Amino acid sequence: MTQSNTEKETRLVGLLAQFDDPDSLMQACESARVDGGYTRMDAFTPFPVHGIDQAIGIKRTILPFIVLFVGLNACLGGIVLQWYTNAASFSPIFPGYDFRISGKPTWSLPANVPVIFEIIVLSSAFAAFFGMLILNKLPRLANPLHRISRFKRVTNDRFFLMIEERDDNFDLEQTRAQLNDWGAVEVEEVNEDMTDRKFPAVIKTALILLLVVLMLPPVLIYRARGMVSRSPRLHVVPDMDWQLKYEAQEIGPTTLEGRKVETEYLFPGQSAAQKQLIGTVSRDEIVGDSELTTGIAKDNTVPNLNAIPTSRYQEPPGGEQKKQENPPEPKWLTKFPESITVNDQLLARGRERFNIYCSVCHGISGEGDGFVNKRAMELALTGKSEWTEVKNLHDPTIVVQPVGKIFDTITHGRATMGPYRDQIDVNDRWAIVAYVKALQELKLTPKPKEDANSGDGKTDGGKKADGKKADGGKKVEPKVTAGKGDAAKKSDPNKKSDPNKKSDSDKKEDKKSDDASKTENGKKEDSADSKKENKSDDG
Amino acid sequence: MHKKRREKVTSPVITLGDDGLKLRWIGLVVGVIFIAAAFIVSIPFGGFQRFSHAYLLNFCFYASIALGSLFFVAILYLTRAGWGVTLRRIAEYLAMGLILMLVLLLPIVIPMFLGYDDLYIWNAEGWSKDYAVPVEGSVDMHATEKMEKTKSAFLNSGRFILFNVVYFAIWIAAATFFLKTSLKQDATGAKKISLRNQAISAPFMILFAATLVFASFDWEMTLEPLWFSTMFPVYFFAGSVLGALSMIVLVALMIQRSGRVTAEITIDHYHDMAKLMFAFVFFWGYIAFSQFMLIWYANLPEESFWFEMRFKPEWVGISVLLLFGHVLIPFMGIMARTVRRNKNFLLFASIYLLLMHWIDHWWIVMPSLTRETGAMYFPIVEVLLMIGMGGLFMSSFCYWAGDRPLVPVKDPWLGEALNYENA
Repeated sequence: MTQSNTEKETRLVGLLAQFDDPDSLMQACESARVDGGYTRMDAFTPFPVHGIDQAIGIKRTILPFIVLFVGLNACLGGIVLQWYTNAASFSPIFPGYDFRISGKPTWSLPANVPVIFEIIVLSSAFAAFFGMLILNKLPRLANPLHRISRFKRVTNDRFFLMIEERDDNFDLEQTRAQLNDWGAVEVEEVNEDMTDRKFPAVIKTALILLLVVLMLPPVLIYRARGMVSRSPRLHVVPDMDWQLKYEAQEIGPTTLEGRKVETEYLFPGQSAAQKQLIGTVSRDEIVGDSELTTGIAKDNTVPNLNAIPTSRYQEPPGGEQKKQENPPEPKWLTKFPESITVNDQLLARGRERFNIYCSVCHGISGEGDGFVNKRAMELALTGKSEWTEVKNLHDPTIVVQPVGKIFDTITHGRATMGPYRDQIDVNDRWAIVAYVKALQELKLTPKPKEDANSGDGKTDGGKKADGKKADGGKKVEPKVTAGKGDAAKKSDPNKKSDPNKKSDSDKKEDKKSDDASKTENGKKEDSADSKKENKSDDG
Repeated sequence: MHKKRREKVTSPVITLGDDGLKLRWIGLVVGVIFIAAAFIVSIPFGGFQRFSHAYLLNFCFYASIALGSLFFVAILYLTRAGWGVTLRRIAEYLAMGLILMLVLLLPIVIPMFLGYDDLYIWNAEGWSKDYAVPVEGSVDMHATEKMEKTKSAFLNSGRFILFNVVYFAIWIAAATFFLKTSLKQDATGAKKISLRNQAISAPFMILFAATLVFASFDWEMTLEPLWFSTMFPVYFFAGSVLGALSMIVLVALMIQRSGRVTAEITIDHYHDMAKLMFAFVFFWGYIAFSQFMLIWYANLPEESFWFEMRFKPEWVGISVLLLFGHVLIPFMGIMARTVRRNKNFLLFASIYLLLMHWIDHWWIVMPSLTRETGAMYFPIVEVLLMIGMGGLFMSSFCYWAGDRPLVPVKDPWLGEALNYENA
C-alpha cells in the first residue's frame, strides 16, 4: 500500500563480483589493482587467503603504532598518577596523600612498577581493541552487503571482490565490463538504503536508561559522603562477619546473630585464651636490669600505676586507683641506663624508629602535627567525633619530663596513646627517648636566652598576626587543657614558633616539675574518662 | 602470483660436509688452548677459586643454551608445530651438547668430591659463619648453625653428584631419543615417529621442568647457601630459552651464509623466532623484576643480601646494564616487524642477546667469589673460558651434525614449514 508510494531512496555503493575459487579472485584482485588502477576495493573470502592483501594493495595497518603510542603514554601516565597521588603535595585542589607510613619514602620506583605495568597492559589492550573497531568503522548497525542474498555464501564457499563507487576510476558500465573480463561469475550493484537513516528509538532509549543507571552509584556515593547513619551495617556475608570461633579475650564463640553463647570457659578467668604463667619470659626479653626495662630508678618505692595495661581493647582493672587525684610518681630515671650509650648511631636508630612509630601522630619534628592528628582534629572541630589532642613533644610539660618517664610512656602508653612495648624493643625505645630529647634540645638551643615576653614581642611579633601572638602568650601557662579550645590553637598551621616561646618562658618554671606532672596526670584522668566515648574514633 | 606449494627440500647442500670436520678440529683446538690460557691467567689473578667460579659461569651459560634447545625441540613436538620443522634439527644438534656438558661438569664435581669448598662453600662445615657480615648480627649464631644443620640434608656433595647424574641422564636420554628418531624419519619418512615423539614430549616436559628447577638450584643458587628464591628456576629458564633461541637463529644464519639449506629456512621462520625472542626478552625481564621486587619489598635479611651484593658500587653498573641491556633496549629493539624481518639485524640481535645472557650469568655467579670485598674483577679469565668452552660447544655441534642433513628431510609437517607465511 504505502510502500509503493514512498519511492525507496538508494545510493550506489559499489559493484560486487562473485568468483568461484580463491585463485581466480586473486587474479582478479591483481588485475583490478594493476590494470584497472583501483585503490578502493575489498575482497571477501570464507577463509584467510595468503597474499590477498598484497593483491588488493592494502597497506599495513597503523594499529601497532596506535598501541605503541598509547602504551608509552600509559607508562608516563602511570608514573605521573602514582607520583601525584603518593608524593606530590603542591596542588591546592587535590593535595594528594603524601603521608609518611611506617617511615617509608613516599616515592619509590620499584614499588610503582607493577601498577605502571598493569596500566600499560590495560591501556594497550584497549587501544588495540577500540583502535581496531574504529579503523574498521565499527560498530556499524547495517551493511548494504548483507542485503544481497548471494553474498550470504561468503562464509561458506563463495569469493567476492567489491570495487567501491568512491574510487576515482569507478565507472559503472566500464567497471562492470572489466570485472566480467577478469573472470567474475556474477556482477551485482550494491545499493545502500537511504530512506530511514535515523538512529533506532529503542536503542536510543536503552542507551539513555543505561546512562541514568550508571550515574546512580556515583550519586549515591556523593550523597553518602560524611553522612551519619543510625541504621545497622549491611552484612553481605554474615558468616564471615560473625564466625563461630573463640576470640582470645572473649568467653565463648560468637553466634551468627552476633550474640555470645554462654558456654563453658576454655580457661579459668572467663577467657578463651590461656593466661600467661607468672614468671614467663619471652625469648629476647631482657630480664634483670629493671632500670633498663622500666625507666624507674632502683631505689624507687612508689608503684607505677601507669604500668597497668591500658590497651584500648582491655579496660584497666584498677579503675578505682586511677580515680585518685594526684597519684604519686615513681622515681624516674633522669639519666639513661648504663647499658645505653647515647651516640650518633643510637640517635639515627631512634630517628628511624620515631619516624615509623611516632611520627604518624606526633609529627616528624614532634610538634604533634602528624597526619592522624591533623585529620582527627579536623573531624573533631566539625563535631563529628571527639578526639583528645596528640601531645606536642615540645610542650613544656613534656620537655621537663625525665627520660625514664618518656620511656614509660612509650612502654605503657598514656591516655589515648596505646602501649608500644610489644612493638618496639627495649633498646629501640631508649633510642626513641634519646631522639625525642634531641628534638627538644634542637628546639630550645637555637634561640638566644631572653626574657620570655619580650622575646615574644620583639623577634616574632612583628611577623605574626596579633591573634597568634596572643595565642602564644596564653600558652605560656603550663596548664594543659584537653579539648577543643586547645585543639583549635594547635591546628593553626602557622604556630611553628609557639613551642619555642613557650619553652623559653617556662625555663624558669622548669624546676616546678611537680606542677607539670600534676597537670599531666590531670590530663590523663580526663582522657581516661572520655575514653569510652572516644573508642570508636581513636583508630 | 600465487606461489607454488613446496613439499620437498630443494637446496643443493644440506649438510656441513668437510667444513664441519674442519670446524670440529678448530673448535677443539681453540677450546683446549683457551681453557688452558684461562687457567694460566687465573694463577696470578685470583687462583683456582676464581677459575672455578669463571668455569661454573661458562658451564651454566652453555648448559643453559643446550637445555633451551632441548626445550625448543620438545615444545615444537608438544604443540605439533609445523612452522618450526626446518629449524628443529639445528636445535636437536645443539641439545646434544648436553653430552659435552656432562663431561665439562667433571672439573666442578671432582674437586667437590675431594672436599674443595671455595666454590660451593656449603661443601665444608661452618659455612654459616660466613654470613655474619651480610646479615649484620640480626640472625644469631645459634640460629644460623641450626639452619646449616637443617640445610646440610640437601647441601652435600653426595646429593649434588647424584642429582646431577639424574638430570643429565634424563636430558641426554631425551636429546638422544629426539635426534635418533628424527634421523630415522629422514630415511623412512614414517609419520608415526612424529606422533610418538609428540606423545613422549608431554611427560618429558614435566621431567624437564622438575630437573631444570633443581639444576638451577644446584648450580647457581647454592653458591649462596643462605639465599633462596622460589623464582630463581623460572628466571634461569627464561634466560636459557632466550639464549637458545638466539643461538638457533645465529647458527641458522651462519649456516645459510655458507650456502647451505638456503631455501628451507625463510625470512618467515626468522620472523617467528624473533617474535619468540621478543616474548622471552620480556618474560625474562618480568621474572627478574618480580624476583627483585618481592625480595626488595619484604626486605628480609636472608633474602635481600643477595641483591645487596649486586648493588654495591662495583656491581651496580652491571645490574643497571641488565635492566636496560637485557630488557628495555631489546624490548623496544625487536618490537617492529621490519627489524624482525631483517637478517642483518637479527644477526646482531642474536649475538647481542647471547652476550647479555652471558652477562646475566656473570652477574649471578661472580659476586659470590668476592663475597667479603664486593669487588668486581675485569673478566679476562671469564672471557677466555667463554671462548674456550664456546670452541668445544661448536665442536660438539659439528660432531653431531657431521654428514647428516641440517633439516628433517622427510618430516610429515615439512610442507607446512616450507610454505609457512607470516601474516
